[in-house]
Amino acid sequence: MSVIRPPALSIATLLASLSKLVQHRHLLWALSVHRVKVRYKQSVLGIVWAILQPLSMMLLFTFLFSYVAKMPSDGAPYALFAYTALLPWTFFSSAVSNATSSLVSHSQFVTKVYFPREILPLSYVVASLFDLAVASTLLIGLLVHYRVPLTVNALYAVPLLVVLSCLTNGTAFLLSAANARVRDVGVAVPLLLQLGLYASPVIYPLSIVPARVRTIYELNPMVGVIENVRLVILRGMPPDFHSLAISAAMSLLLLVCAYIYFKWIDATMADFI
Amino acid sequence: MIDLKFDHVSKKYRVYRDDGSPPAARALLRRVLSRAGGWQDFWAVRDVSFEVERGEALGIIGHNGAGKSTVLKLLSSITAPSQGEITVNGRLAALIEVAAGFHPELTGRENVYLNGAILGMTRREISSKMESIVEFAGVAAFIDTPVKRYSSGMNLRLGFAISAHLDPDILLLDEVLAVGDNAFQAKCIKRITLLKESGTTIIFVSHNLGAVEGLCDRVLLLRQGEIAANGKPGPVIAEYERTLGEAPAVSGPRLQRATASPAARAVGVRLFDGEGHRTSTFATGSAMRLAVEYVAEQRVEDAVIEVYFYSMYGNLHSHFSTETGGDRIDLEPGRGIVEFLCPEIGLTVAAFNVEVSIKRRGSAFDENIDSRRAAVVIIGTGKPVHGSFHMPHTWQLRRDTTQTPEEE
Repeated sequence: MSVIRPPALSIATLLASLSKLVQHRHLLWALSVHRVKVRYKQSVLGIVWAILQPLSMMLLFTFLFSYVAKMPSDGAPYALFAYTALLPWTFFSSAVSNATSSLVSHSQFVTKVYFPREILPLSYVVASLFDLAVASTLLIGLLVHYRVPLTVNALYAVPLLVVLSCLTNGTAFLLSAANARVRDVGVAVPLLLQLGLYASPVIYPLSIVPARVRTIYELNPMVGVIENVRLVILRGMPPDFHSLAISAAMSLLLLVCAYIYFKWIDATMADFI
Repeated sequence: MIDLKFDHVSKKYRVYRDDGSPPAARALLRRVLSRAGGWQDFWAVRDVSFEVERGEALGIIGHNGAGKSTVLKLLSSITAPSQGEITVNGRLAALIEVAAGFHPELTGRENVYLNGAILGMTRREISSKMESIVEFAGVAAFIDTPVKRYSSGMNLRLGFAISAHLDPDILLLDEVLAVGDNAFQAKCIKRITLLKESGTTIIFVSHNLGAVEGLCDRVLLLRQGEIAANGKPGPVIAEYERTLGEAPAVSGPRLQRATASPAARAVGVRLFDGEGHRTSTFATGSAMRLAVEYVAEQRVEDAVIEVYFYSMYGNLHSHFSTETGGDRIDLEPGRGIVEFLCPEIGLTVAAFNVEVSIKRRGSAFDENIDSRRAAVVIIGTGKPVHGSFHMPHTWQLRRDTTQTPEEE
């Protein structure tokens, strides 16, 4: 038996939303598989595109910033230095840009059937996770090529991935719900992502960021993720727990707030989408 | 047992004064400056309370904008109410068409899996029903072809077939009789009838008053978001038709409703197949027996009893009449039954509204003593028919061509 009431903010309704989401997990799975299948339908290169995207960026950055501009890369080969950061960044940016329009592009479902709508942005995040896994195979190739040995600290990549997923889901919830309300969001996202790329240590190391802005700079949750991925994989060191903690706290806070906002919009979304 | 309960439910929409778009920066600025407010509140549903019991079929009728579809949207959680509380007891599903959500590059089968999942089916459930879904939609030969190669009709039927295979406790129907051709509609009505017989609770929103009266146990009339009437189909539909005024009903020519106390009333219709079993499903070319029960309050001299078969679009397809081919009928006070026998049905695949009328010989088409929509019959495929109706016929083969039949 279910009772439908006017939208209200409470722990109980949030828990109820989460349990509905768990009930519909088969739909999340079906939609995520669908995204992967459809993305490369009728394309010749297919899944290779998942590697080509970060690879081409890496080649461009290596030429521009290493060969031309002589950017420092904390001692690692610049190609490897850039690619380790491009993996989480490409995952984040492709998931967020696809998820932002997910509610609007599925309005025919949103206005006709009920299901937990957060599944729509979530399915794009899961599909991007699949692309991330594919693109990671090239990282292994690069590590072998540059003879960079992995240590046991590389296992820290797992909690880092969890933090990155929280951050990505939170951003996806926030932007997709906002875009359902005001379409300006969809237009602004490519620009915001471009800014985000330069506000994160993808093409440059954290070490060249001036110390007096470092505190503010590190509030960007992407900073802790990228820097620590480089630490644990390229240098075989344990992560910097200070920046990791900031990153995890910011990501979690964003995820919770974004989910609350999403469910608030969700209650009457069909009326204005 | 109560399956559904609306407890003082209201739904408010914001109607924006300019172009209906949500507060764009410009409108926002204007509103802040003028403090006039860029919107007006519109109550689509206002303080509505009703209950639906398990197994009951509830019809919801009313003018466009009366709140019918909003009630369904609230029921199915598509949008949240502004006030009040809705209790839903059981698995709820709407019979809807989802072809708009098909991915053109995917095959019919892949789209069925995807859209079935969105409608709430598990993969296993879809697999077990796949054959039946494909058969229902009539796309068996093309199920592994990308849907971009489908005709629009195939798309539509497949989009509809998926939701027709949900097994809900509560089924929501919103203008479903507007989808597809006659044959497909007949299939849908048959499916709905089957679900109803198996005890599914049904909420039926339609402008097709004939179908509402044929299918529903109770009808709710909405007017400007409020309940104007709630009760047996006959009186509520009559109340609605009274407010229709001069505007033509959507479902075509309507028989005029009887005066408050007619001299004779048609109280029931029963349909039987050739073997004498009660049914509402027939096949072209098969036999039909139709019994009209009437109650006469006073003597009616030279009465004529007629049965009309209307399509779901309101077109009159055929009729039975006592006017010709028999003795004159004088109805005596009391109960009686008139039986019509049709040895070979000429109607082709479709669903029909059956209307019964009692009148006096020689009176005009709409001058009835009593008339009522009484049943829905479904004609399924029987004899293969090319054209609009079946003509009973026999044939003979003659080898000797020197002789023409006339010379015999």
